Amino acid sequence: MSVTTERRTDIGPPHYEQFLHPIIKANYGKWKYHEGLKPGVFVHVAESGDSIYTVRAASPRLISTDFVRKLTALADKYSDGYLRFTSRNNVEFLLGNKDNIDPLIKELEEFTLVGGTGRSISNIVHTQGWVHCHSSATDASGLVKVVMDELAEYFTSMKLPHKLRLAVACCLNMCGAVHASDIAILGVHRTPPRIDHKNLPNLCEIPTTVASCPNNAVRPTSIEGRSTVKVDEDKCMYCGNCFTVCPAMPIADALNDGVSIWVGGKISNARTEPMFTKLAVPYIPNNPPRWPEVTDAVKNIVEVYAKNAKPYERMGEWINRIGWPKFFDLTGIEFTKYHLDDFRHAGTTYRRSLQNRY
Amino acid sequence: MAGEVSIEQIADEMYQLVADSAGQKKLKATDLTKAMTSKYGDQVSKQDCKDAIKMLIDSGRCIYGYFGGSSIEIPHREGSEN
Amino acid sequence: MSDDLKTPLLDELEKGPWPSFVKDLKQMASKKPMVKDLLRQLEKSYRDKRGYWKHGGLVGIMGYGGGVIGRYTALPDEFPGVSHFHTLRVNQPSGWFYTSKALNELMDIWDAHGSGLLNVHGSTGDLVFLGTVTDELEPTFRDLTAKDWDLGGSGSDLRTPSCCVGPARCENACYDTLALTYDLTHKYQDELHRPMFNYKYKIKMSGCPNDCTAAIARSDMGIIGIWKDDIQVDQAAFAEYVDSGMDIQGSVVDKCPTGCISVEGKEIKIDNSNCVKCMHCINTLPKALRVGKERGAAVTIGAKAPIVEGALFGSVMIPFMKMDNFEDMHDLIERIWEFWDEHGKNRERIGECVERIGLATFIEGIGLDPVPQMVKQPRDNPYIFYEEYYEEES
Repeated sequence: MSVTTERRTDIGPPHYEQFLHPIIKANYGKWKYHEGLKPGVFVHVAESGDSIYTVRAASPRLISTDFVRKLTALADKYSDGYLRFTSRNNVEFLLGNKDNIDPLIKELEEFTLVGGTGRSISNIVHTQGWVHCHSSATDASGLVKVVMDELAEYFTSMKLPHKLRLAVACCLNMCGAVHASDIAILGVHRTPPRIDHKNLPNLCEIPTTVASCPNNAVRPTSIEGRSTVKVDEDKCMYCGNCFTVCPAMPIADALNDGVSIWVGGKISNARTEPMFTKLAVPYIPNNPPRWPEVTDAVKNIVEVYAKNAKPYERMGEWINRIGWPKFFDLTGIEFTKYHLDDFRHAGTTYRRSLQNRY
Repeated sequence: MAGEVSIEQIADEMYQLVADSAGQKKLKATDLTKAMTSKYGDQVSKQDCKDAIKMLIDSGRCIYGYFGGSSIEIPHREGSEN
Repeated sequence: MSDDLKTPLLDELEKGPWPSFVKDLKQMASKKPMVKDLLRQLEKSYRDKRGYWKHGGLVGIMGYGGGVIGRYTALPDEFPGVSHFHTLRVNQPSGWFYTSKALNELMDIWDAHGSGLLNVHGSTGDLVFLGTVTDELEPTFRDLTAKDWDLGGSGSDLRTPSCCVGPARCENACYDTLALTYDLTHKYQDELHRPMFNYKYKIKMSGCPNDCTAAIARSDMGIIGIWKDDIQVDQAAFAEYVDSGMDIQGSVVDKCPTGCISVEGKEIKIDNSNCVKCMHCINTLPKALRVGKERGAAVTIGAKAPIVEGALFGSVMIPFMKMDNFEDMHDLIERIWEFWDEHGKNRERIGECVERIGLATFIEGIGLDPVPQMVKQPRDNPYIFYEEYYEEES
């Protein structure tokens, strides 16, 4: 083997300053205000009087180098080569020249949508799904595509009562941390892993497999003299961690996997404190490629919210004002036993007053 | 006092712990560190243990594994690859 | 293996206004056999309604325990192109700012060594290179470091710190989120690359309580900008909002959570002593109102997704600290890690650890005094374990 030059490690990311537009560098920390000019476009004005214009467009998050090169070519043409991405996977072009806004939008609209600002539905944060994940109960990129196809008009406009943040996670490990979104689509497994007792002893380390379970549901056992494991089905939460260490315990179950829908979470402190999402629809079977039952359910919730919420009310704030019975009433979603919590601190969700609306 | 036990010796003893528990229990960096500090008390420091683990990993005698949590293991072909 | 790519189910995802990842991937498939097999396997998943991936836990970069996620297809005979399909997490620059030159160089590296598919960006913040074989991991890493890029975290380590757009392009930034992210990422390279914790430790930096990185929901340690003094008011700009016909009463005054805003004529009055820094009025009247001048950050601890004990939001550990230098922050972080190392259990996040041992024990362990800002309310149960009591003198 040839001796190479010294291997570099632990260098960390490059300094961000070299990636900042000159106008941003000159006015760093000295911004005065910003204002939305139209969907997907805003201007930030500095104390110096300088302005930087931002044009925001959608990306599917799962993209190719070709897609990125399309973005960089547009950045070279219209934004002096400066661009950034948002925490919701949108791309933002940073323009010094106002006259470049409309030509840039025109070219962007040939392959994506411009919007996602203000009182809109921004891009859906999501996970890997069937494209890459071993424990997913549904696809993520596909669900995002079909839901956003249905809701595109809310991305490119600002006609909702307030911003609406959607998220998709393909199982309850929630790499996409969907537990504080206005609407969350969460992939669910509904059955414990099935154990391939024949191959398990050869494929898996039993102590490691037992230790992998976060809830002590996997226990060592022996069947016909062979060491294997068993699963305490009352304890299993379908997280798939045992499958992570033991390929002989597949969690995927085509007949039973599907999605659940959650509503009313928020992150920001504006007006009300951050809130967790709560269960709206316990289960919808997977129906690829376009999951029509899921898109219908999400669109219904969005439309009922849009029609009934007051300006500046996030989903959770609206529901808190009208009460959950009314939410189920207005959306027509069935209230079931699955809506009653039975995990830790379940009691804190029970109604402990007579303050109900009749 | 820290430094009384050589980094090489700590690394060798850690390697033995990893080898002995292979297939039984995945050991993490903190398990190895706690084993050494409980054996040697203040004769070894946490930094000594860090250095020893780095020596094991950089030399290729051990590798990091990740199965839900991170562990330190003897290099081997993994089940998923088959 | 036939060269044609038949994906009738996925083709349905080429329709509609939202940009189609299938269209994009199909173009890459004409150049990369790996992507072709990825699409074939995905088509099968769409038909069978299940995934076909296996987790890999051992592949990585020499010397690092984080930054690479191993992945193998469960069906290598059918889809040999994705028999390995590992992920590299490339540590993003603060605030996700790029130049087209830098991005193009990254794309050149990924075209040369991998599938050409990526996530911009992953949930933690990294630029995620999606899909390559074991033998290409080191060469990819070599080319990345040659261009001054490094990998991010994964496993039981410090996960790649990330931040909002901050003072680079936001008037609400109460401290320099980009600088702190850069500082922490570089200071703790060892913790980021070499898993030495009980479990993952995520740090997210948001410049104000709007919390655009979702630090309070998604990070073990949230460092969220806040101010202490009065909201800055430009009364002339406020009068312009009034003149524009905006419903100030309904949109601002009535929405204030503590009712501390009143309007007299065209003048806004704020009882700042009662303001909880919720940001609503500032968000709604950006030209007239600005965050105060005495700025710093609050620190929250313990947010996480549901596994195991249920989802947690972060809770306030420090209601306000100055951010003029980052040394106090280093000191705090190291005290928390030290404590967690000593008292945490395997795969127990810091938030779960605090729940188990109690907030009082935790803050005592890291050297903080109890303050009422840490809680919504004092305890309502009488089971107090008094540590001080009198003994009769003998």
